Amino acid sequence: MNAPLPSLSDRVSALPGCDKALVRVLFGASLLALALGVGFGWLTALGRAGVAVFEPQQAARLLTLHGVTVFFYWLYLAQTALLLVLAGAERNGGGLALRSLAWIGGALMLAGFAVSEIASITGTPLLYDGGPALGRDDPAAVGWFSLGYLLLGAGLAASSASAIATVITRRNGGAGGALSAVGFALFAWAGFLIVSAIAAVNAFLPSVLWALGRGAFPANQPTEWHILFHNLHYLPLMATVVVWYVLVQALTGVSSMHGARFSKIVFASYLLFVPPTSLYHMFLEPNLSETVRVVGSLLSLFVAVPTVMAFLIIVSSLEAHGRSRGASGRLGWVGALPWKNPVMAAIACAALNLGLGLTFAFVLIQEKLAPLFSDTFFVPGYFHFFAVGTVSLSFLAAMMVVLPALTGSAPWRPALLCRMPAVISLGLLIFGAAGIAAGYAGVPRRTFDISYGGGAPALWHTLMTAVGIGGTVFALGLTVLVLGVARSLLPGPKDSVVQQPVVSWGDTPLRSQVAAWTGPAGVVLVVVAMALFTIVAFDLMNALPLTVIGGGGHSH
Amino acid sequence: MSENRHFTTRRGFITGMGFGAVGLYGVWAAYGAAPLPFGNHHETLHQGHGDAAGTLGHAGADHDAGSAMTPEAFRREHAAFVDRFKRPDGSVEPVAGQAVSHDTGHHDMNAHDMGHHDVDAHDMGYHDMDAHGAGHHDMNAHGAEDGHDMSGHAMSHTAHGADADQPVDLYLLAFMWGYNPDILRLRTGVRYRLRMMADDITHGASFQLGAASRIIRLRPDSVSDQIITFTKPGTVLIYCTVYCGAGHDQMQGKIIVTASEQGGQP
Repeated sequence: MNAPLPSLSDRVSALPGCDKALVRVLFGASLLALALGVGFGWLTALGRAGVAVFEPQQAARLLTLHGVTVFFYWLYLAQTALLLVLAGAERNGGGLALRSLAWIGGALMLAGFAVSEIASITGTPLLYDGGPALGRDDPAAVGWFSLGYLLLGAGLAASSASAIATVITRRNGGAGGALSAVGFALFAWAGFLIVSAIAAVNAFLPSVLWALGRGAFPANQPTEWHILFHNLHYLPLMATVVVWYVLVQALTGVSSMHGARFSKIVFASYLLFVPPTSLYHMFLEPNLSETVRVVGSLLSLFVAVPTVMAFLIIVSSLEAHGRSRGASGRLGWVGALPWKNPVMAAIACAALNLGLGLTFAFVLIQEKLAPLFSDTFFVPGYFHFFAVGTVSLSFLAAMMVVLPALTGSAPWRPALLCRMPAVISLGLLIFGAAGIAAGYAGVPRRTFDISYGGGAPALWHTLMTAVGIGGTVFALGLTVLVLGVARSLLPGPKDSVVQQPVVSWGDTPLRSQVAAWTGPAGVVLVVVAMALFTIVAFDLMNALPLTVIGGGGHSH
Repeated sequence: MSENRHFTTRRGFITGMGFGAVGLYGVWAAYGAAPLPFGNHHETLHQGHGDAAGTLGHAGADHDAGSAMTPEAFRREHAAFVDRFKRPDGSVEPVAGQAVSHDTGHHDMNAHDMGHHDVDAHDMGYHDMDAHGAGHHDMNAHGAEDGHDMSGHAMSHTAHGADADQPVDLYLLAFMWGYNPDILRLRTGVRYRLRMMADDITHGASFQLGAASRIIRLRPDSVSDQIITFTKPGTVLIYCTVYCGAGHDQMQGKIIVTASEQGGQP
């Protein structure tokens, strides 16, 4: 258990004004990025559905802007803001250490945001990975685009250094100087961000040098990108789990029943399990050796271990406390949670979407199935469960707690916001189900006109229409949620913050032999679903009128 | 307290459950797709309809999915392949037993499928064979052992004593924004060695096979090869799955697969 601390809201409120200003700017920029990115994504979905028609270059530009804005700037500006504010809260009134570095980091990230957006709007569309081969005839576009990411990486490193310095110099007066579980998680998260920033330099500095005429063509960029990208899409999941820890405590008063040390081991295990599992992104590469394929397949089975363990720690702690307070029936403890609080609704939907995302991620990581799914719409079909349904909902939930504490201004219409996670999840379900089915059917992921002169199956168009419908639903839900959260960035009346419903289970003594089956049952359900959809994929592949020896897998 | 805990709330249980996804290995093994020999039953690997060589992945001699063929050799062979087997309608229909050139620059995979002296000597273009069955006589004259009637366009490799399982070589070059050849005419039941390469930037070659597609990623100047066998006739759309520029959406080709008259042993 953590040492007793004031509530999260109180600790955030106690941050020095300059720290509050920095994180407000970063939260604001992240919400702007999300709003823009959702808009670009919605247009992309309409284009894929055939409702809107774009010239090929326009379509590729939209896709580039969507990926750059959401994947890089929404997720990483939001992570930085959350990292800094939670680190500051861990220091309990002391504010950020290395504050000037944090400000420099923030400025660099914002500069990167501007450069990346302008480069994406004006230059040759390079998609979000900035592949230099697409811009061989337009080095300036490659250079500016890559510079944007380098600025982002530098900003991440500087901000993370400040966060690390903050948590290791914390003064909470009750823990004897030891890091709390959350403090340790912030430390590991920030460290992981710095490693990723270094990977970004490896991936994009050669492109900048080439554009300046000071280096060879960056032929290795795709490989460096794979390494960077793998870290980049697990970092937000790690951040999500940290956010869940913090929010569950804020909503229910419950912290881990398994002890801080166990939580620290789980957070540290991200560093153990995530980087070595990157090989599965390269299964489709034509010259990948069989040894790498075998090792990559084996390691991929372990990629979700930290996330699943963290999920189980949180759910079992909640369930044990809920049952100890007298909740009965299989899900009675779930019903007793504060469902009228939009934060609760958001993290509950996030957990469900995580299960869906994991189910299909594990179909994709089977090396032998990679030629069936890689580069198809299966990939966006499943990863939106993570990117939107899990990570974005969790980050927005965190903002609904943190921003009112920063500004004294309440979110807009919390009762309406409470419904948005379900609306978003419904849209995602339509989008994901249709997109994954489209992936099974072979619809390419980055092709807008999939008619092929009448050569494509008619089913493709039906599925992509459903993708457009689902995308529209979740884009609408996200827009409402973003606007509602953004309202609390603005100053409001002093008494505008009404405490959203919470429960207080943390001080409940745990009953002896109280069981917590819900989390394990959820994990079993997900593993069974993984197996089921893997079997469907194998059977589908076996039924194809083509036998193949050789070949290979997928990338993003 | 911990001794009074239900096992579902113990750390060991949580840790064990965290590894739950590893259980998927059992499904992989059941389909012969597990990365380690443990539990891997290769008899279940066969896909398609009865081709014992067909597997889900990288079995057989292809320990490295990439080919040892150099890009220069690929370009040379590809040009000769298209030149030799091109039909008047622009499609390309390879014929077994006919090599495309004398100098492949790559002997490890072509060691037994050359037959080019016969081909060159008698100019066995597609139409000659179609009209006169010339290949039959030439091939038999050089030691064909199978004795099959070589009617139809695809013939098994029997020249120079090569065994009947030798695949027929195909070459497919992906470029911005198309495939060369863009129309291939192939036969069911015939094993083809499909050699592919991207000419400029990375492309994909996805074969739309009805219920699903099968994707190959092609890197520039990196030759990939796969042994493929079509088991049903039909038209297969080939399309690019890696964004490659403004013309990406239009990048397509097709394979017209017709039934072999003798179940893959023409």
